[in-house]
Amino acid sequence: MIDFFSKNPNTRRKKLLRTTPPGPLRDFLAEPFPEKDTSLADAPILALDFETTGLDPKQDHILSIGFVKIDRMGIQLGSARHAIVQSAPDLKPDNVVLHQITDNEKNAGISLEAAMEMLLENLRGRILLAHFAHVETQFFYEACRNLYGKVPLLPVIDTLEIAIRQQMHTPGHTSAESVRLFNLRRQFELPEYAAHNALLDALSAAELFLALSYRLPKDPNTSLRKLYREAARAINPGVKPQSDYLWRFT
Amino acid sequence: MEIELKEIRDFVALIPPFDQLPTGVVSDIVSKISVQYLRDGGSLPIDGQETEQLYIVRKGILALRSSDNQLMGKLGEGDICTFFCTNNAQIEYSAEAEEDSLLYGIPCLELTDVVKDYPGIVISFIQNSAAERLKTAVDSMQENAHAASSLMYTSVVDIMASPVMTITEDTSISGAARVMTDKAVSCLVIENADGVAGMLTIKDIAKRCVAAQIPTDNPVSDIMTRDLITISSETFAYDALMIMTRESIRHLPVLENGEIKGIVTSGDLIRQEGRNSAYLTAAIKKAKSIDTLVSSSEAVPQLQLQLVNMGATADHVGKGVTAITSAISRRLIDMAMDKLGPAPVPFAWVAAGSQARREQTSHTDQDNGLILHNDVQESDMPYFAELAKFVCDGLAECGYIYCPGNVMAINPQWCQPQRVWARYFDDWMSSPKPESLMFSSIFFDLRSIYGDAALLDDIRRDMLETSQKSTLFLAHLTNNALKLKPPLGIIRDFVLIHDGKHDDTLDLKHNGLAPIVDLARIYALAEGVTPVNTIERLKQVSGSGSLSTDGGANLLDAFEFIGSLRIRHQAQQIRNGAKTDNYMSPKSLSRLEREHLKDAFKVIQSMQSSLERKFRA
Repeated sequence: MIDFFSKNPNTRRKKLLRTTPPGPLRDFLAEPFPEKDTSLADAPILALDFETTGLDPKQDHILSIGFVKIDRMGIQLGSARHAIVQSAPDLKPDNVVLHQITDNEKNAGISLEAAMEMLLENLRGRILLAHFAHVETQFFYEACRNLYGKVPLLPVIDTLEIAIRQQMHTPGHTSAESVRLFNLRRQFELPEYAAHNALLDALSAAELFLALSYRLPKDPNTSLRKLYREAARAINPGVKPQSDYLWRFT
Repeated sequence: MEIELKEIRDFVALIPPFDQLPTGVVSDIVSKISVQYLRDGGSLPIDGQETEQLYIVRKGILALRSSDNQLMGKLGEGDICTFFCTNNAQIEYSAEAEEDSLLYGIPCLELTDVVKDYPGIVISFIQNSAAERLKTAVDSMQENAHAASSLMYTSVVDIMASPVMTITEDTSISGAARVMTDKAVSCLVIENADGVAGMLTIKDIAKRCVAAQIPTDNPVSDIMTRDLITISSETFAYDALMIMTRESIRHLPVLENGEIKGIVTSGDLIRQEGRNSAYLTAAIKKAKSIDTLVSSSEAVPQLQLQLVNMGATADHVGKGVTAITSAISRRLIDMAMDKLGPAPVPFAWVAAGSQARREQTSHTDQDNGLILHNDVQESDMPYFAELAKFVCDGLAECGYIYCPGNVMAINPQWCQPQRVWARYFDDWMSSPKPESLMFSSIFFDLRSIYGDAALLDDIRRDMLETSQKSTLFLAHLTNNALKLKPPLGIIRDFVLIHDGKHDDTLDLKHNGLAPIVDLARIYALAEGVTPVNTIERLKQVSGSGSLSTDGGANLLDAFEFIGSLRIRHQAQQIRNGAKTDNYMSPKSLSRLEREHLKDAFKVIQSMQSSLERKFRA
């Protein structure tokens, strides 16, 4: 088994770049990822959220995407983008209620291709940040596979995993409920936003990330390498990373 | 700006000076925002971020200090920090988070560019706010200077008469009078072989010798005051005043290392600060008619105002005002007994509620009762009914309105032998009913004002023994106490009253002080401690199973702070000749005070929920 944690992401990135045809994905891979000795505070980050019709990337579709950049621990609201994605068949009634996106609005949205192009352009040289990043990464890979016939490498920070690791130090406090984005934000007394809007959820995760990172043992000056070593130690060695393509900081 | 960020734009658009800008410009400002997080104790600017920024506080608190570390103010949600956006190099400021804070930073250069079409609005705001800050700092310095002159900060050593003249206890009364005349003093300390034996004043000679026709050749030991109440040289003048008020005395010897160093007289204090409560209680004690008592009670608001002007704390004001109420009650009981003759059996006149806790402000309701000795006969009851009627009517004339809940000694239910009172408490605690819970907030705070205090002490001892074990009763009390919540919303904003009568105000009594009083009572009953005063209760129970040391310190701070706002609010009403109440508009507070008040409410919230968890578990 390949030890993904020990590999330099840029070595693997360059290898992938050689076999990727020109296009948005290649442009994305052409930009180096932050090196491992970069401090968390200096690492360029993109907080992302997808609203989807379900949890299975093979069957379900992306309804909308929202993202915002974090530079030097500042969330840049000017970089915030939100787009309705015109990719799914007719919406199921449940989703209309949950995400408040109607068929009319969805049809007024942009194509998945355009949405992914916008995302890849903004993700260049950045680490992806999401809460329970599994959903975002799996849908991201599936979209790349369908659009470009290739799955890229993706450095990821998951606020859910950081929260779980922090709560592990206070036994009995971790539960599925306690690490939900909404509950964590309440715990840190962050402002309440309307839920289930991709951009506001991305912003919510970004703010939570700031709050969590100031609680790391060495605060945001922790290097990515250190974060990753701790992640390797914290995650049981028997547990495999969720994806070969995922390079995780937690 | 993405329209999804409308929530943030709406937040910014409400804040001056941005509230005067068109929506489109506010949207442009939002696009320039960098959302930043400042950990408790961290200071601005954040590493790696632009140094010259304007900050909007979205969550949390920033404390602003000048270069000499003077606190200039605190910023809370929706406040703007312009410190880092001016070219004002003369004064250096620092901004530190007092709790984890979420900030919206806007680089000054970019802001200037965005608002260039509206220079009169944003730029002048930034420049003016610097001037405003300076003024606030000066005001707070003047306030401190004023407070420093009051009795609160004056040591008794600074105003006492010293050295004292001493004579031996076998000196004749006429000899003592000659010393007083020669040395021009009104008070002598009497010594014997063991040290200090007593004190003698000119008044004592007039009353106990001349008027009582005792020969002036007799020794001073015949007429001197023994059992002296003394104070230490570390006492503040204010506390000396409080002791004189409570004990109805006018001279207090000051002790240092066991020796009398000097004597403080009420005259010294009066000269120091003008009219005061010692003077008032003396007048009450001598009053011959209810009319005199009425005019004394009319001076209470003035006394309260004076105490506030002197810089007294809410605790001091409460004790001062309560001292007057109790003095009037005692004088009325004396008057009643002059009229009705001596009581057929011993009794205790007890005050309930705020009077018992010594936490009154001017002119509250009267809450009282009579505990009679168990030997009382049916035929004695008319005597006590008449006594109660005389006293309660007298109190009502003095402005202490009849208790709306009829908790008064004129109600036969509350004029009962000791054994009946004991049964009341047992019933309330063993089978808590809504009615008994209502009474509990009144009757679990009792203090004997007149008569045989032991009658109450017995009941209290048994009651506290039972209360510690009555978990169900304490749970009911807790439930009841949680009905009064501090007026704080989810996003750390005040929840203001909108009842058409007191619009846009906060009820400092019912939503601020009363919840703390209730908490303190529950802790006291759970721990079986005897004091009824809220501060004493909190001090005694803190560090026990019911209340942590930190929790106790926080509640004490909150109680004192809300209390101080209340007495200040009432002082302003007294100055304006208005009737006093507890409804205060947050607008009358400085930004710093608003934040303090929110902190105080937050303390109450968290202590309420921890008590709730304890008794619901």
